[in-house]
Amino acid sequence: MASVPVTAQALTDWLLRYRDLVMAQRDYLTELDSAIGDADHGINMTRGMDAVVASLSEAPPGTVDRLLKGAGMTLVSTVGGAAGPLYGTFFLRCAAAVGSVPAVSASELGAALRAGAEGVVALGKAQRGDKTMVDALSPAVIAFEVAVEDGGSAARAAAAASSAAESGRDATMPMIARKGRASYLGERSAGHLDPGAASSALLFQALAEAFATADAHG
Amino acid sequence: MVGIVGIVVVCHTPELARAARDLALEMVSGPSPPIALAAGAAGGEVAGTDAAAVADAIAEVASRDGVLVLLDLGSAVLSAEMGLELLGDPECEVRLSDAPLVEGLTAAVVASAAGAGLEAVEAEARSALLPKQQHLGVSGVSAASGSSEAARVRDASAPDGDHAEVQLWLENPHGLHARPAAEFVRIATGFDAQVRVSNLTLGRGPADAASVISVLALGAEQGHRIRIEGTGPQAAEAVEALRQSARP
Repeated sequence: MASVPVTAQALTDWLLRYRDLVMAQRDYLTELDSAIGDADHGINMTRGMDAVVASLSEAPPGTVDRLLKGAGMTLVSTVGGAAGPLYGTFFLRCAAAVGSVPAVSASELGAALRAGAEGVVALGKAQRGDKTMVDALSPAVIAFEVAVEDGGSAARAAAAASSAAESGRDATMPMIARKGRASYLGERSAGHLDPGAASSALLFQALAEAFATADAHG
Repeated sequence: MVGIVGIVVVCHTPELARAARDLALEMVSGPSPPIALAAGAAGGEVAGTDAAAVADAIAEVASRDGVLVLLDLGSAVLSAEMGLELLGDPECEVRLSDAPLVEGLTAAVVASAAGAGLEAVEAEARSALLPKQQHLGVSGVSAASGSSEAARVRDASAPDGDHAEVQLWLENPHGLHARPAAEFVRIATGFDAQVRVSNLTLGRGPADAASVISVLALGAEQGHRIRIEGTGPQAAEAVEALRQSARP
């Protein structure tokens, strides 16, 4: 399997696809957030990703770092809730890890995604098991890098990451929240999926779908 | 001499930030310290917080005297931390306050306006719940703990010099609360003297007159007897000015 570099265009497709998924599941995400949060996650993420897509069409960034950094800064300023600085940090750390290049290898992307996840953990101070986006994000980036190490393409790694993110999201169902607005509910937070984990799972679903399309054409 | 510590207010809505700022400023009769607001997301149109706006607000009031950032809840903390990161390495020291928004902001504004340094402004904000806790009789909070960290910080460098003292009955209907307390602090810190005030009626103090929280914690009402003591080159002037200000 040839190692096809991941271009800025492919990553742009990722963000566009993520916006579509978030928009389609906006009410679902908000419903999850109504159960154990402040009922605005879907609305916030849709607003944020709409703004990201708008800025992409205004000025398509040529390099991977500008693309990811732009997405991060846009989310920071438009999302409003905790997902703003958290997803913002995720993309900013990814951008910092890749540098000013038009494309990255699957391996470099894996390292960048991991750097992004580490940024989220450092800022939010959540660990796996706290019932947050980290419960989907962490297994996803690990799965991505493992797949690449096993010789997989970016598309295969993204599919593995997506699958791991979904499992991670599902694992939050019985957890008792220890971070964020949900933690105010204590035991009543159990029995609900974490909305941040759900939107993180969509992030990697979008990655897998964007790369699968690119692979089919490439 | 001391400079002016800048203050940043991070809230989910501009209305909340403005209201908290305006309430705090009611306590200050002279010029207010530099205060910048970072509230709302998407340009303030949406409830939430914006780390980039926090970075801009810090930059707006930054100086070598430092900045204290007051926060409401939830994402405000994350946005403030990220805002600090976005700033990179600001030349001035920036601290995120763990104080409650309204009480902490009020204490910080009064302290900064009175010329306190960043350490003392932060300590005043952190102990800002004390007067309320004392009044409500919250366990573990005693009258003896009326001296805040700020007072201890200032007590560390008590100057030698003349001593002056006066005792008086408080006639002001508001006692030594809210605005009168802030005014008391403003006057006391305007002299080259260390001033302490005690509530003889309740047996509280002496409190450092440079700390509005310590002064508030005296719980001095109309009709209480207070003692004002000054030490230092302008002790007599300070005590006289405070005696005058205590008249209704």
